[in-house]
Amino acid sequence: MQYVIIGSSAAGINAIEAIRSKDKKADITVISDEKKPLYSRCLISYLLAGTIDEKKIWYRPDAFFKNNKVDAILGVKAEKIDPDKKEIALGNKKKIKFDRLLVATGSSPKLEKIPGVDKKGVYPLRTMEHAVEIQSMLAKVKKVAVLGGGLIGLRAAYALKNRGKEVSVFVRSPQILSQIIDKGSADIMQRHIEKKGINIITGRSAKEIKGSTSLSSVVLDNDSQYDCELVIIGKGVNANIDMVKDAGMKTNWGVVVDEFLRTSNKNIFAAGDVAESHDIALEEKSINAIWPVACEQGRLAAFNMLGENKIYDGTLAMNSLEFFGLPVISIGITRPKKEGYEELIKINPERNVYKKIVLRDNVIVGAIALNSVDTIGIIGALIKNKVDITSVKDIILEDYFDYGKIVNLIKDVKQGFKEKEFRETIMTL
Amino acid sequence: MKKIYCDIKKCLGCGACEIACAVEHSKSKELDQSIKESPAPIKRRKAESISQSVAISTGCHHCDDAPCVAACMSGAMYKDKKTGLTKHDEEKCVGCWMCIMSCPFGALTRQKQDKIVVKCDLCPDRDVPACVEACPTGALFSGTEKEFEIKLKVKTKK
Ligand SMILES: Cc1cc2nc3c(=O)[nH]c(=O)nc-3n(C[C@H](O)[C@H](O)[C@H](O)COP(=O)(O)OP(=O)(O)OC[C@H]3O[C@@H](n4cnc5c(N)ncnc54)[C@H](O)[C@@H]3O)c2cc1C
Ligand code: SF4
Repeated sequence: MQYVIIGSSAAGINAIEAIRSKDKKADITVISDEKKPLYSRCLISYLLAGTIDEKKIWYRPDAFFKNNKVDAILGVKAEKIDPDKKEIALGNKKKIKFDRLLVATGSSPKLEKIPGVDKKGVYPLRTMEHAVEIQSMLAKVKKVAVLGGGLIGLRAAYALKNRGKEVSVFVRSPQILSQIIDKGSADIMQRHIEKKGINIITGRSAKEIKGSTSLSSVVLDNDSQYDCELVIIGKGVNANIDMVKDAGMKTNWGVVVDEFLRTSNKNIFAAGDVAESHDIALEEKSINAIWPVACEQGRLAAFNMLGENKIYDGTLAMNSLEFFGLPVISIGITRPKKEGYEELIKINPERNVYKKIVLRDNVIVGAIALNSVDTIGIIGALIKNKVDITSVKDIILEDYFDYGKIVNLIKDVKQGFKEKEFRETIMTL
Repeated sequence: MKKIYCDIKKCLGCGACEIACAVEHSKSKELDQSIKESPAPIKRRKAESISQSVAISTGCHHCDDAPCVAACMSGAMYKDKKTGLTKHDEEKCVGCWMCIMSCPFGALTRQKQDKIVVKCDLCPDRDVPACVEACPTGALFSGTEKEFEIKLKVKTKK
């Protein structure tokens, strides 16, 4: 059997490990257009901030491919998939045959469609190369404009502030982190970040980036100008689907996969940021472009490439962020956009605590925990297992709500909690 | 796989396991000394009430399909290939709390001073984990699932 994987980041790496854990002999080939792909993408902003040294960025050791007997084709782009011939054409004109293929091509940053984005000094933050390039020009930078107030925009802002730069973040929507948390919690986080010296301007976007050989300023939608030498664009990502789409497989926002993470072609699977799969909370197909999902899907897709027929329960949006000592974790639907949801909120302004549970028919579908994050994973388990939580509803936002409080629930429900570790905790009850 | 099990029928929720755990994971490993340490020693077990008179002592369950390992962005949380235990490399940890977000048991704790996570390591320096030894009722058990089941059966027969 010839297993081929395109992309060697979270999804690709976990797929390699999963195949190798079951099959010591299979031929595995991985193709990556990044020359050194074994780093953790999530940590590049930490590298830029200088809060970790380069050693820590490596998610797997140098010898990873060798140890797992993987033929790694690095620094080469896969250009075309021929599903009938089961062949991939590479940028170096070579061709690779496969029996089973995993598409783990991830996503690419969206760039603003405004004049000047192609100027030197304008960067997205997606690859280690970006982080290294930004770092190399920092000596000449005093002021930075970050366009976008999402996870990556704010992480970049934090990193550059940490490097002693004057940073302003321009956010089109009325709140920061609008894809992740609600306005109430975002406002607390925003005030906290501003107090630490980063300017955040909501409801404002850029319409042009000015400069000649180097950058001079960003022109905003109210025609005011912000002078800066560096612009970071954090406007979300697009799934890298082109190759799969051209090969005639089903795509939408991402590569559409079934409950086995298989594409519309039976020999081809997809995992990670590129894959559009069932979302547990939304109950529809969606992309959750996050690290845990990429790892989980890479593993599961690999098992199914081996023929194990493992069903994927679905993805769940989740994020964990901390800025200047204030942590926030969100899971699932945090800002319901339709009717039929109930919200429970508890706020403690003195402690900067904001907790929210979003319910649909007494089943939790989302949660936010700001500055009170330690037991949020239990809420995540309740979301995943879709239990009616009526019996604990009145204590669910209390600080003493912990695993003990759901033990009876787990015992009583007929469905869900199928992992044996849950059973182990109730076998003596 | 050898790990720690709790017999809910016997657990009082007294917290002796928590204290023993914190002391074992302190620098001095002595109760009177450990309370003065900085960072303060952190327990990796939690005695939690289920209802008024029922309690459970929980910690890391070393899940087969560990969600914290999948979530860990630095590679600090990993599966020991030989033992199957979920292990944590403090040197690699960046304190992103992705593991906290994904642990269904709430078994992980933030050590804020060094910005790392801490969890049950089954007391590698001891034969019997400190919590198991400290439990006054014998509710905690260290062994394989089979061994725990056998122990429960013997008890119910009596
Ligand atoms: C700065 C930053 C911070 C982040 N922080 C978090 C966080 O805190 N939490 C979180 O959950 N997620 C975070 N993410 C998102 C997370 O990194 C992604 O969800 C994850 O990397 C997805 O993994 P993947 O393997 O699916 O794809 P990717 O990591 O995108 O990897 C795909 C790989 O495939 C390669 N590739 C693509 N096309 C081809 C081709 N045609 N031929 C050859 N190679 C190809 C790419 O170059 C890349 O190396 C962050 C991302 C960034 C950029
Ligand atoms: S806090 Fe440490 S162990 Fe937990 S996910 Fe982050 S890096 Fe991994």
